[in-house]
Amino acid sequence: MTLSDRLRSLSHEPLAHFLLGGLAIFLFFAWRGTEVDPASRTIVIDEPQVERLATQFSRTFRRTPTTQEIDGLIRDYIKEEVYNREALRLGLDRDDTVIRQRLRQKMEFLARSSAESEQPSDADLQRMLDANPAKYGSGAVISFDQIYLGEGAIAEARAKALLARLGRTDNWRGLGDPLSVPASMERATQADIERQFGDIFAGELASLASKPAEVWRGPVPSGFGAHLVRLRAATLPQPPKLSEVRQQVENDWRAATIDKREAAAYQALLDGYTVRIEKP
Amino acid sequence: MRKLAGAVMALTVLGSCTDQSGTAAVRGTEAGQAVTLSAYPEQVYWGDTHLHTANSLDAFAFGNRLGPEQALRFARGEKVRSTTGIDAQLARPLDFLVIADHSDSLGSTRRLYEMPSSQVTDPVLRHWQDLMKAGPRQSQKIIGELMVLGAKGEIPKAYYELGSEQATREIWTEHTGIVERYNEPGRFTAFMGFEFSLQPNGNNLHRVVIFRDGKDKADQVLPFGSQGAGINVERLWDYMDRYEQATGGRALAIPHNSNVSNGTMFELVRPDGGPMTAAYARKRAAHEPLVEATQIKGDSEAHPFLSPNDEFAGYGVAGWELGNISLTLPKDNSMFAGEYVREALKRGLEIEARTGVNPYKLGMIGSTDSHTSLATSDDDNFFGKHTGNEPNTIRAMEPMNLGGADGRIGWNFLASGYAAVWARANTREALFDAMMRREVYATTGPRMKVRLFGGWDFTAADLAVDWVKAGYTRGVPMGGDLRKGSGRAPLFIVSALKDPMGANLDRVQMVKGWVDAGGKSHEKVFDVVWSDMATRKPGSDGKVPAVGNTVNEAKASYANTIGAAELTTVWRDPTFDPGQRAFYYLRVLEIPTPRWVLYDALRYGAKLDAGIEKVHQERAYTSPIWYDPKS
Repeated sequence: MTLSDRLRSLSHEPLAHFLLGGLAIFLFFAWRGTEVDPASRTIVIDEPQVERLATQFSRTFRRTPTTQEIDGLIRDYIKEEVYNREALRLGLDRDDTVIRQRLRQKMEFLARSSAESEQPSDADLQRMLDANPAKYGSGAVISFDQIYLGEGAIAEARAKALLARLGRTDNWRGLGDPLSVPASMERATQADIERQFGDIFAGELASLASKPAEVWRGPVPSGFGAHLVRLRAATLPQPPKLSEVRQQVENDWRAATIDKREAAAYQALLDGYTVRIEKP
Repeated sequence: MRKLAGAVMALTVLGSCTDQSGTAAVRGTEAGQAVTLSAYPEQVYWGDTHLHTANSLDAFAFGNRLGPEQALRFARGEKVRSTTGIDAQLARPLDFLVIADHSDSLGSTRRLYEMPSSQVTDPVLRHWQDLMKAGPRQSQKIIGELMVLGAKGEIPKAYYELGSEQATREIWTEHTGIVERYNEPGRFTAFMGFEFSLQPNGNNLHRVVIFRDGKDKADQVLPFGSQGAGINVERLWDYMDRYEQATGGRALAIPHNSNVSNGTMFELVRPDGGPMTAAYARKRAAHEPLVEATQIKGDSEAHPFLSPNDEFAGYGVAGWELGNISLTLPKDNSMFAGEYVREALKRGLEIEARTGVNPYKLGMIGSTDSHTSLATSDDDNFFGKHTGNEPNTIRAMEPMNLGGADGRIGWNFLASGYAAVWARANTREALFDAMMRREVYATTGPRMKVRLFGGWDFTAADLAVDWVKAGYTRGVPMGGDLRKGSGRAPLFIVSALKDPMGANLDRVQMVKGWVDAGGKSHEKVFDVVWSDMATRKPGSDGKVPAVGNTVNEAKASYANTIGAAELTTVWRDPTFDPGQRAFYYLRVLEIPTPRWVLYDALRYGAKLDAGIEKVHQERAYTSPIWYDPKS
């Protein structure tokens, strides 16, 4: 394994991301240089600090602050610093739910943000696709004919009577009641069937897929009433190629990776703790 | 890091497709998959053109923490955890989505929330930041204050300054990057868009703007804001023109919540009070082919004051008739005519009779206007107007004022609606083009399949064969203009198929509007086909009796033992006068079903006061077909 391979594999390690994130936070605070010991009673507003306040102001208001405004910003900063130190000294951060939630959100954000800009490899995506073939593929596709017989108990009786006759005739088109749904569908996915006939009918049809084809059966219920159906073919198509569904897989990969990153980062921290739960 | 993500996405942007009629297929994705266009629209596609995420200033203040990505994933059918921690997944995914965050202060509330408090010097902003940090209940007060200050034009300048051009550009390009990633031609369409939230004095003149194009073009502009001196709706149309000229792309605008505009959405005069001119009417019609007629904040199809003979006209008006959106100005009866869509269609004919151009030639869609990032539209999955009223025990009876005054209660809000689009494929181009030709309809949530064709030689025999093909070849679909006739009455192929996973249909009505020789408009509602026609005979007043009611309020259930699965007919206008300009649209009514408040009572033990609306008849409104004697 070359060094670059090693680095590449390391770059996929959640822990490495987390440690890098931690380093970034450390460097940020080291650069910011203001995170003094809360116990200290000296507040120094140095030149870089004033510049930072001025920069933040101009970024927000798109102009440089006046001298009075700078003085105001400094006064306000001192007040915030004093109150913050005193609050920390009093331990107010520890039992304040709002502060605790904010800190938690910040940590979660840090853990998640690294995944947002990451590019998955083809192998990553292929693995994701292989693990969820049903999600990215169409599932079984079904070709079938149907005859609609209306609603209610009468429809079921009509269906049974017609079923007995249908065995002896192939001339089925035009039988039953008209309905603005297809009399026949070719290689229709579960979603296609559900869109036209509703979930009950689609489910019933799927359960017929294992039975012999070319036979009229029924009554099969739908949101519209009762049908007779004849399955002609039910096949499981080849799973999709990555190129066909890449966009969706990548979106899902990203969403899942962001969650995983956060979970791993949390686990890495949690591992450093001993947790005792004493239930009453 | 965010910026980097945007840049990487930009590199992977797929070439945009073009829908050139006459070509059999358009190039879909980079991988070369082709999206097949059907010869004519065979499928109706379902979507929401009006969804807000945490990037909307008010949605964030309401507590919403779900961004565009979660919104798209939810619409696409994935499971998403709502801000309040409830797992949510659509039983039936949508086919398309327009995220329409407010252009004003895009992302600003989030920015204010994340700003160091020492940087927040404006007292109002500091107060809002404190409210947000004090928790969701407190945070929601900001909305009321925003609405009231907005109505008075007193939102602090510092608030708008939060949204510097650079900050807006960052958030817009990040947003367009996400939308681009979720646009899958042929499977799921993610549109670029935004909301332009103009509301002078709290009178709602909001528009959703939709782009036909991809990130490459959308990134050349920023969402157009409604604040500032001289901003009115004409400036929005100018912005759309500039976009089209600069990029070669297309954009359309959809007004919504005319019901809280206090009569200013569909005026007989220009917004400045001057007389309506052909040029102004033409400009409006060219940019605004549709109106959002139904959504969470009420229904704007018809009002009983305007349509006293229409017993179904009072749907979703309770609460909304009290005043404008911020409830800073009350409403009087004279204002309804400028607020409701049926009247707008009539006014359009009147103005056309005078000026030669119809400014209100509007097709109809429904959408949610949800601020939860969750595009739910059914009564049994209603996630609320905003994060503060995601499912809970009190939301039905809680005061729900967006502004300061008393008046609106939780139950006044509707679990409505969706946009249905008849298109040749599920792509940005095909759906957008269908919207431009108004081949669309509104529903309050149910996915009933509705067709309407107008022509001169249809017969009942057409229904026995391929009547859809007949409709397209010998007539025009919803949204169109009747071709030149022979002077005999026009005929309409009317078909409504129930939602296969919903309630049966009560009736289909034709709503006709026309202008007499004196230039005055009229309307009439015809029951054209209904369930159990053999037994439900029209009374002496000509009206078909009510269908009945199977709702069990305690169980929040109903039974499809009344009504019909499908209602189809060929209808001839018995009152046709070839010299009168007219429009015709369908209203389809379901049998009575439980409103979302009954599901809340069942699931969460919500207490409901007597006298609130618990049962309703959900409905669809098609785009009209117009008749012009001169055409």
